Amino acid sequence: MSWELSSKQTWLHHVNPSIKLILLVVVFVGLLLIDYIHFHLYFVIGLSFIYFFMTGYSYKWLLLFTLPFIVIFISSFTSMAFFGEGDKTLYQFGLFHITEESLYRGLHLGIRSIIFGLLGLIFALTTKPVSLFYSTMQQYKLKPKIAYSFMAAIRLLPMIAEEVNTLRQAMKVRGVTFSHTISGIYERIRYYAVPILAQSIRRAHRMSIAMEAKQFNGNRGRTYYYQIKYGREDLFFCILLICGITVCYYLQTNFSFLPVERVLH
Amino acid sequence: MKKTKLTLTDILVTIVIAIGFSVIYKLWGPLYSSLSILGLHIDQLIYGMWFMAATVAFLIIRKPGVALLAELAAAQGEFLFGGHWGISLLLYGLVQGLGCELIFAIFRYKSSRIFVMCLAAVGATIGSLWLDLYYGYITELVWWNLTLLIVMRTVGAIIITGFFAFYLVKALEKTGVTNLVRPVNEKHYQALDEEIR
Repeated sequence: MSWELSSKQTWLHHVNPSIKLILLVVVFVGLLLIDYIHFHLYFVIGLSFIYFFMTGYSYKWLLLFTLPFIVIFISSFTSMAFFGEGDKTLYQFGLFHITEESLYRGLHLGIRSIIFGLLGLIFALTTKPVSLFYSTMQQYKLKPKIAYSFMAAIRLLPMIAEEVNTLRQAMKVRGVTFSHTISGIYERIRYYAVPILAQSIRRAHRMSIAMEAKQFNGNRGRTYYYQIKYGREDLFFCILLICGITVCYYLQTNFSFLPVERVLH
Repeated sequence: MKKTKLTLTDILVTIVIAIGFSVIYKLWGPLYSSLSILGLHIDQLIYGMWFMAATVAFLIIRKPGVALLAELAAAQGEFLFGGHWGISLLLYGLVQGLGCELIFAIFRYKSSRIFVMCLAAVGATIGSLWLDLYYGYITELVWWNLTLLIVMRTVGAIIITGFFAFYLVKALEKTGVTNLVRPVNEKHYQALDEEIR
């Protein structure tokens, strides 16, 4: 049984990254403004279908990535269900006051946080950061200065990870301990952050000088090694989302089984 | 003199700091979620960590746009590493960054006092609360619970984003690296003159 994180290339990998991002943000904002609980229920089923069958990763990894969703579902559900406003009391104990309205509102919020998590994972699993930045430079005129800084910063992460490891070992060897008070927490942050930040700033500064020395001026009108274009996969993705939303809307109006339709009044 | 325009160095330093923070943000997620199961908004006390990239980056570089860029970049990083709030991170990053940026703009990017950092923390808190109106329906909470949420988040933000960030950069200044990236000011020119005399 191998635990290597690898995937088959599916058509989702070939969707233009910036189109994918924009469509997902549009879906996100749209969902924020919809409070029909059934719509969200059907939508999460549809998204799980895309997540499990179209991202091209093995199921054990996909299931592993969904583990945090249990926690965010529970936390967003309980914080609304136990302490939400409502008239029809179902259960009351001390500060907890569960009403029918708050229960369904909590359920709605729980489902919604899973939807947003899934949208994020679908994007992150099928998009290489490098192609996202290349695509935003080429299609949406993001300044190369910013895009290349991102790509360089991501490349620096392994070095930062190594430094954190060295720091941890150095502190262990010297027997450094932190108390659990606020000043203890601050000390812990400072002991790690100051050396890491100082090194990162020095490295970034050196790198920018090197880039400028090689005549990188960060302006538009340059050539690119990777050419990222629009393709028919973009159209498929767009159609898939529109069809999904239409189907969810149809199911929501015709097959509702919970006693509430909308969670806001 | 183009003192306020962001150079390649500024952008690169800001984004490197922000991507560093995005790793912390990613690790902060599970901690926050596990605290939130305890209920009563204990988790809100550590929410302020998600605003910290903005104030730290501004304190280091002190130019317009840095706070917003840092917060957006950190959110983008957390999103790309598969942070479990997914797509919502991007919008939260935007409003929190705008909250901080607005406060710095009111002080015309000149002040870096601790009071301004605390105000920026409050600005970011307001930004995140505004999005929570839609994302978490927070107005539908019972009044005492809503008040608790707002108070806890603000207090946590002031401690982490205001105080911690301020003293952290103070400690960082002693290492001398901040001189690499800060714009020169009057004091530096005066020091130069004095040396000549």
